[in-house]
Amino acid sequence: MTNIPIDAIADIRSPEKPEDWRRFFGFSTDHKVIGIQYIVTSFLFFLIGGVLAMVIRGELITPESDLVDRTVYNSMFTMHGTIMLFLWTFPVLLGLSNYLVPLMIGARDMAFPRLNAVAFWMVPVFGIILMASFFVPGGSSQSGWWAYPPASLQNPTGNIVNGQFLWLLAVAISGVASIMGAINFVTTIFRMRTTGMTWFKMPVFVWAVLAAQIIQLFGLPALTAGAVMLLSDLTFGTSFFDPAKGGDPVLFQHFFWFYSHPAVYVIILPVFGIFSEIFPVYARKPLFGYKFVAVSSLIITGLSATVWVHHMFASGTPDWMRMFFMATSMLISVPTGIKVFAWVATIWGGKIKLNTPMLFGLGALVMFVFAGITGIMLAAVPVDIHVNNTYFVVGHFHYVIYGATVLGIYAALYHWFPKMTGRMYSEGLGKLHFILTFIGTNACFFPMHPLGLQGMPRRVASYDPEFAFWNVIASLGGFLLGISTLPFILNMVGSWVQGEKAPKNPWRAIGLEWLVSSPPSHENFEELPIVIAEPYGYGKDAPLVSNPDKLEIAHATN
Amino acid sequence: MQPTNTSIDSANPILEVAHEATHHDHQDNRMFGFVVFLLSESVIFLSFFAGYIVYKTTSLNWLPEGVTGLEVREPLISTIILVSSSFTIYVAEKFLHQKQLWGFRAFWLLTIAMGSYFLYGQAVEWSGLDFGFSDGVFGGSFYLLTGFHGLHVLTGVLLQSIMLVRSFFPNNYAKGEFGVESTSLFWHFVDVIWIALFMLIYVWQ
Amino acid sequence: MKVRLILTLGTVAVAIAIISLWMGQLAHTWLPPQASAESILIDNLFSFLVTLGTFIFLGVFGTLTYSVLFQRADKYDYSDGPHIEGNVKLEIIWTAIPFALVIWIATYSYQIYDQMSVLGPMEHVHMMASAEAANTADVEVEDKENIEVYSRQWAWEFHYGDVTSTELHLPNNKRVKLALHSADVIHGFYIPAFRLKQDIIPGRVIDFEFTPIREGKYRLRDSQYSGTYFATMQTNVVVQSPEDYQQWLADASSNVPATSYNRAASEYAKRPVKGNWQTVIPAAPPVVNYSSPN
Repeated sequence: MTNIPIDAIADIRSPEKPEDWRRFFGFSTDHKVIGIQYIVTSFLFFLIGGVLAMVIRGELITPESDLVDRTVYNSMFTMHGTIMLFLWTFPVLLGLSNYLVPLMIGARDMAFPRLNAVAFWMVPVFGIILMASFFVPGGSSQSGWWAYPPASLQNPTGNIVNGQFLWLLAVAISGVASIMGAINFVTTIFRMRTTGMTWFKMPVFVWAVLAAQIIQLFGLPALTAGAVMLLSDLTFGTSFFDPAKGGDPVLFQHFFWFYSHPAVYVIILPVFGIFSEIFPVYARKPLFGYKFVAVSSLIITGLSATVWVHHMFASGTPDWMRMFFMATSMLISVPTGIKVFAWVATIWGGKIKLNTPMLFGLGALVMFVFAGITGIMLAAVPVDIHVNNTYFVVGHFHYVIYGATVLGIYAALYHWFPKMTGRMYSEGLGKLHFILTFIGTNACFFPMHPLGLQGMPRRVASYDPEFAFWNVIASLGGFLLGISTLPFILNMVGSWVQGEKAPKNPWRAIGLEWLVSSPPSHENFEELPIVIAEPYGYGKDAPLVSNPDKLEIAHATN
Repeated sequence: MQPTNTSIDSANPILEVAHEATHHDHQDNRMFGFVVFLLSESVIFLSFFAGYIVYKTTSLNWLPEGVTGLEVREPLISTIILVSSSFTIYVAEKFLHQKQLWGFRAFWLLTIAMGSYFLYGQAVEWSGLDFGFSDGVFGGSFYLLTGFHGLHVLTGVLLQSIMLVRSFFPNNYAKGEFGVESTSLFWHFVDVIWIALFMLIYVWQ
Repeated sequence: MKVRLILTLGTVAVAIAIISLWMGQLAHTWLPPQASAESILIDNLFSFLVTLGTFIFLGVFGTLTYSVLFQRADKYDYSDGPHIEGNVKLEIIWTAIPFALVIWIATYSYQIYDQMSVLGPMEHVHMMASAEAANTADVEVEDKENIEVYSRQWAWEFHYGDVTSTELHLPNNKRVKLALHSADVIHGFYIPAFRLKQDIIPGRVIDFEFTPIREGKYRLRDSQYSGTYFATMQTNVVVQSPEDYQQWLADASSNVPATSYNRAASEYAKRPVKGNWQTVIPAAPPVVNYSSPN
């Protein structure tokens, strides 16, 4: 391999200078830049959504509605859910997927780099639209992130441009951006895997992203249809969902949940992928049953389209429908269980290192199992008739979405931080972050289960005094979670600026992304890798690629 | 070990790296992506169809006051013309593959004319109807479905017009015919959706 | 070796099973008192799920804890662990057993739901079917206490024939059939002590039946978010002996209908307009024979 003078490469493709921080604020088409843009932007919205949660927990630490006006409280929980889903969870996972997928499959970029950039820039746009809704007369949407009609159609100000309208507009734009992303990922994964990377040599994270993005493709259009009809009712006075004019409000629920249930798999599948990547590294053992785990992602994708009515067990649904969807909802625990057992078996008998990514991964896994169990309880219709729309459900889904997803995301951010930034993070701050987060999550969300079982409804600004005890604990836990983000922010910013320089492969992990520099060069690989082994070859001394020395792009300042 | 499908030209490593950048066939990827897009787009129509079916089968007051049904004759004519335009666009594409640009342009223009007639027919039908968008679930669903489809027809006609203009640019097809092929596929998609829509709204009354 | 392994696993499994069964019993204490016949069915199902869930959770958590405690790499050991890719037999077992468990749970749940039998015909074609059902079920209607429930933003109103009230009174040990109505948005009829809930869809009348079994005072709460004062839309449920119930009805019918206390309306009356977002105005408090105090 000869040393190519860097100016020669610059002439051909004029790549950005590697160290220019300005590219993160512009229209870069580099998937690595876009990935980081997604992650940072979404984290800012995570903090905003978190502030709203602090208001919620501040209100709920006492039984009376005495912190903010009821309309403001209702706006808080509505926007908290909306922001956390559409401006944090989906985009941050897109960011991780964007950064990792091309590297993991040995490609230089995504299939459609410009579409990729356009899709990203729509996020701050609809984010601003959503935030603007706080400031219009009547305030933001207050009908919950589900926006059920007729409540969502009651426009007290009578204005055309009201909070609900802006909410629908933002969600519609979000949908378009997501579909753009989905087209990009599916095409990339199908068409751009490098030589030798057959389907069953592909890392599970990529399988998971594929499975998730396929869901976006078949699910989002149904939500869009429902949202268009709702917007039409709201703005043009049509009667799709308004019973006073012959409409059917339950039909909206079907449209809404037909997407929004599979949406939770869009969220959890990449997290499962993260677990599958992290546990082998820190247990130094192959992923147990790799093929089963890979295929189970697609089984989940298929089944995810058949369970949505379990959100409507207490709604205007007939008995036969409730029974059918109970069966399908319980069934989906089987492919999920396969994964959980596979991870446990991966870790069992390994040589475990408990550094920050592993701690977060383990914490996330345990909380996911707990959430899965309460999920089966919710799938049982008789039990759900009691706990539907109570804090039991809120506790369940926060264990999934904070316990498993946020902790899983943290695990990924720590694990790939050296690769993305070229710096090592502080292990001490990382462990502190973990302890605060793990305690905070359990303190905040565990009490919600007894509250729900005792009959406390969700989305209430005030409650009967008998529920005070657990609410106080939950609020304290919530405040702790707010504080727990501080060591993380400190670590990320401080380490990126002045952390120890990271080598190519600080974790001695097996994967294409670990064969190139940290961070990788603009084009990712000098010569595209030729894969000759299955992933997760720990304990086996076999090379992953046949051309490991030809992958690095030489720089003058090597 | 010699890797088999990358040409290692160690005397000219710069060219080798440049070759890698164009190694993947971009045209193929674009068509793959476009097909994926169409599959997703069809779900939005399927959702509207499902809504229409639910309303029609469960509504207490389906047709608005004074409305007895839809006139089928003119929409049927529009349907025949729209479906035929799928044939004309197919013929146009064949001409293009054979590099016969004037044959291509003639049938392409014919397609545009037929698509435009469809839109005109739709506008005439709409203006003659005695119910509006907010007249019950029937009014809402009818205009939503036909309007959303009409928007796709309009988009198709606009894309075809752009392709027609571009056919006059020199060397337009040097990098392949993705523009024409995707516009054509889109048109077929619009047609199939219309057939389903026509059955649902006009035939099943 | 194998015998020791089986004995160890067996002991651990038995220990976990005992803890799980204990948790299942404990689960009953996490729930409100059982005030309806259906609540007993539901609590048993819940207890079963807690037992099963505890077993699974402890199994997974226990295995991971053991690994994390006893299978750590030595401080400077950076070598790999054993190259174990999988075990097809194990994979099949841990697919088949959950699948069998799911069938068991689903079947048991179905049986419980069937026994509960709380929901009327949820026909999509609303008013028509309700009338039909009423005609065919005339014989049954006599055996049940029929009460009409009217929900609106943000008050509950109950009609017992000609007697009206904002508090739900029920005779003990008699099956009650409610006809649920909403005047505006979707509300949720939820009595935690009964373990029962049904969303009320405007434009439809939904029939809902159950049997109270325990005298006492319980709470009815709106469970489907219904707007600004949603959290205030609560009232009392009073289960009385049949004699006391009849007495209450008689006393109430002799009252002149009066404006009831309504929390939403009284909060709204005190709410400053300036500086607050506009809200849907609460409906006028119901005018009823008997008014709930809170």
